[in-house]
Amino acid sequence: MNVVLNNIGKKYEGREAFTLKNINLEIDDKDFCVILGPSGCGKTTLLRMIAGLNSITEGDLLFDNKRMNKVPSKDRDIAMVFQSYALYPHMTVYDNMAFSLSMRKERKNIIHDRVMEAAELLQIKEYLYSKPSDISGGQRQRVALGRAMVRKPSVFLMDEPLSNLDAKLREHMRVELVRLHKALGTTSIYVTHDQTEAMTMATKIVLMNDGKIQQAGKPDEFYNRPANIFVAKFIGSPTMNIIDGQMVKGKFVANHGLITITPSKQDAKSLEAFEGKPVSVGIRPERFESGGEFGDTFSATIEVVEMLGKEKILYAKLENGSEIIISTPGHYKYAVDEEHNFGFDVEAIHFFDTETGLRIN
Amino acid sequence: MVKTKRKEKLYLSDKQPLSFMGVIMLILSYIVLGLWALAIILPLIDMIVSAFNGRQQQYIMLNSNFEFSLRHFDYLFNETLYFSWVKNTIFIALTTAVLTLIIVSFTGFAYSRYRFKGRKPSLMAIMLIQTIPAFAGITAYYTMHSVISSIAPFFSRQMMLILIYAGGGIASNTFILKGYIDSISTELDDAARMDGCSSMQVYRLIIMPIARPMLAIIALWSFIGPFMDYLLPRVLLTSPESYTLAAGLFTLINDFRTLNQPAFAAGGLLTAVPIVALFIVLQKQLVSGLSQGSVKG
Repeated sequence: MNVVLNNIGKKYEGREAFTLKNINLEIDDKDFCVILGPSGCGKTTLLRMIAGLNSITEGDLLFDNKRMNKVPSKDRDIAMVFQSYALYPHMTVYDNMAFSLSMRKERKNIIHDRVMEAAELLQIKEYLYSKPSDISGGQRQRVALGRAMVRKPSVFLMDEPLSNLDAKLREHMRVELVRLHKALGTTSIYVTHDQTEAMTMATKIVLMNDGKIQQAGKPDEFYNRPANIFVAKFIGSPTMNIIDGQMVKGKFVANHGLITITPSKQDAKSLEAFEGKPVSVGIRPERFESGGEFGDTFSATIEVVEMLGKEKILYAKLENGSEIIISTPGHYKYAVDEEHNFGFDVEAIHFFDTETGLRIN
Repeated sequence: MVKTKRKEKLYLSDKQPLSFMGVIMLILSYIVLGLWALAIILPLIDMIVSAFNGRQQQYIMLNSNFEFSLRHFDYLFNETLYFSWVKNTIFIALTTAVLTLIIVSFTGFAYSRYRFKGRKPSLMAIMLIQTIPAFAGITAYYTMHSVISSIAPFFSRQMMLILIYAGGGIASNTFILKGYIDSISTELDDAARMDGCSSMQVYRLIIMPIARPMLAIIALWSFIGPFMDYLLPRVLLTSPESYTLAAGLFTLINDFRTLNQPAFAAGGLLTAVPIVALFIVLQKQLVSGLSQGSVKG
């Protein structure tokens, strides 16, 4: 089922401003759409509006071209996995999973078959008759998924379902969820603040901030062509380096004058209009080189080295004290207090308009 | 032969070992607690012993004469209106408990889950009204009763009493239940709603089972209330046939014509029976901690 959000806005009772405004989004059938954003950006509100738990102030919510604004959530053919799992504590795992079907007055043997099917897929058969309080966090997570699955919904909604698990289990469940999505083929909408989850699981990412969609697209677009400075800084770890400066004679010169960058031919074209105007440059920590195509280098003193095994992260300082984060392969030898020259991979430089924050090249 | 093996004593407590002063303070606090317990238990023992003591006459004498007999119970059952008092009390207590439970369920759930105009002011009003003792409104109760019963003659004074008890109980228990339901994650409501529950079903199928320990306590307390209260029934109920236990038994110690202290003790002893029975029935529900594991653990 495809989900379309048309100019959707939300204003809470007793609040002055709109929490969400002008949200336009199209989620195709079988998409795994991740809504990403820092806390308080309105992503959960958006999900709850799709779920029918919050009302829609303006705009249209369409499921397969049917307007869903006023349809109660139980009739929307959706299922949701909550952050806290929201398992009914007084019911066994089996009853938890069977609850929604029995509320729909489904026949007993059909319910049993569906529950067993889901339990099989999620490997939770052994504790079908335990109470939620008797099973571990990861198992509860599976039960919550199973409870949503037995309904065979057309849309799966998930609200930070992995945030309560420990790191190892989270990694494992991430893969599991992707596998599950592949097997079921249900349109899924997944809310998270964790960019790793978004990058690894999504077929489509929607990044939100301040109640607005900042960028929507495929994960690699996010990493390689961020639409604005916010997206550039939000995606990727360590964070992208942003250097403020301006265009002087077709070259980028940083405000402190220590860094000069000659843009590639393609970039130079789109930068023509910005001659003499403030421009910000973004470069990912792993895209520094020793020389660089045009020989633009700068020297920096290494302050801190973070050894992560496969890579080393260098926190370096320029002469004037501004910080640059550089990531290098782990077997390169760098030590604290050394001074090194670094250049840029010209293909990987992002230019942004400093005033609007929008991407230029 | 018993083998004596010197075992090295392991200190297993997580607390620091007691100092000399600590030991003295510990002994002192045990003495205080013991005396306190005695002050509560001794009268109770005395009551139980007197109730079965055939040697006791009209007044209870504290002496060592004892002869087991059920004479006082016999007096209580045959010479007084004891059974109708029991019947009245249980009727009043049960109705109060049921009425309180039903209404508190609605109010507690509504105050916890819904935002509506006047929510805060009405909560405040409920809290403030509680500070006024129920007895203060006794004249108003009289008038209300006479007005209502002139229209609906079946409205007895006992029913008035039930309304007063339930009304008082609803106010305080709404607070308690609201607090308890507040601690239940609203995501459970959301989940239930998406699973197809109406608001009533959310309460009946999800919230009520989780709040059961609290509901059991509310039921127990509203049930016990009428057993304990003497003043209101004494003033409001006029004929001995309609007395509750507390009011009825009191006639056995305050009126010279009907004075019989050992029978009063026997009656008091029996009063505990229905309360203990209810307690045993509710015991399972009173065990709390049911809401563990609903959300992240």
